[in-house]
Amino acid sequence: MKFGKAAAGDPSKPSGKDAPLGFQRHSSGFDQFCSALQTPEGGMSVLDMSGASQANIVFLTGFGHRVSSDDIIGAMQQSFADNFHENQQSASNAQRFLDQALAFPDDSFDGILVWDALQFLSPPLLNQVVAQFLRIMRPKGVMLAFFSSSEKTTALPVYTYRIADRKTLSLIPRAGEQRIQYYYNRFLEKLFEDASSLKFFLTRDHLREVLVRK
Amino acid sequence: MWSSKRRDDEVPQRPATTPTASNPATEPLRREFNTMPTPTKSFDSDLSPVRNGSAALGKNVTIKGQIFAREDLTIDGEMEGTIECQDHRLTIGPNARVQATLKAREIIIQGSIQGNVEASDKIDIRREAKLVGDIKTSRIVIEDGAYFKGSIDISKAAPPPKVTPPPQSQPAIVTTAPASPPVIPLAVTAGPVK
Repeated sequence: MKFGKAAAGDPSKPSGKDAPLGFQRHSSGFDQFCSALQTPEGGMSVLDMSGASQANIVFLTGFGHRVSSDDIIGAMQQSFADNFHENQQSASNAQRFLDQALAFPDDSFDGILVWDALQFLSPPLLNQVVAQFLRIMRPKGVMLAFFSSSEKTTALPVYTYRIADRKTLSLIPRAGEQRIQYYYNRFLEKLFEDASSLKFFLTRDHLREVLVRK
Repeated sequence: MWSSKRRDDEVPQRPATTPTASNPATEPLRREFNTMPTPTKSFDSDLSPVRNGSAALGKNVTIKGQIFAREDLTIDGEMEGTIECQDHRLTIGPNARVQATLKAREIIIQGSIQGNVEASDKIDIRREAKLVGDIKTSRIVIEDGAYFKGSIDISKAAPPPKVTPPPQSQPAIVTTAPASPPVIPLAVTAGPVK
């Protein structure tokens, strides 16, 4: 699996003494996300679900956008704890997660960066979460989500996404791995059926980048 | 032996009894009189407010209300209300638990804050910080590991208006016409023409 210039060997391990922990990957989806939000005067509102970081804040505010940060993976881990997938089926746990992570007013954001968090969720919670994201997106807003494209992969390291530049993301591994759900394209089209358009970007590292426009 | 002259040369506020160098009863008194009192250490050394010209509230202090500060301020206890520290630095210490709206020139966050934060210059969120609220500032530094939930509004500080110096008054240039040479009358003699 090749991840770009900075990567070598196991992508979850640092590639060199001076290299930042994690690895980098090219992202066409993120490039398109930036294009969709590009306006001369900035002023868009972007929700970054990878947790607050200097890199992401500086990059996004550099466009003149207003940035909101939250850590959706952290919220998942808090809400579902050790029995991560089993606890998702509990209505009370699911509601607690929704109240904690997605308590925003309607039409709050022009752009949402979900990164790869959705692949760790399973229905019906996944459907509820997507519905909430579409609710808090403004009309013509865009959302970027990543899903594994390998049917054989059943678990993946959990990453924090940092923006290196418009076409490059740095993936910093968090502690541990998490079981993922594989979703066919057809399922994803149905999952986002309330959106006005979907764009898929297939990558060499077995990822599908999905750009959703409301 | 003390002489009267020497006594006069001593510090004016001397005790009534005349001390002698060899009198052990007065030695401790003199030492106590002449020695500066040891300052009591009531704050952590890191927060030494008096020496650094700033104020501090220790970790065992709880305040509910409004704080207006005209100097640098460090809060390491519990606070509920509003804090305004215009044109100065506000530090929220690692033990602090603050539920307040904060306003300062520069804000350093090491503890826990629930509330909106506004800094005209810079906000520095350290690794151990936990901030839930909206931020408005010109610059932000956030360390990896810090927890932040809220929105960030970066407002670039308006550049100072360009001050064009007033035109300097030029000294008047006076040109003077050269003085006309004096007219010297010529003597004219008339005579026959040859």
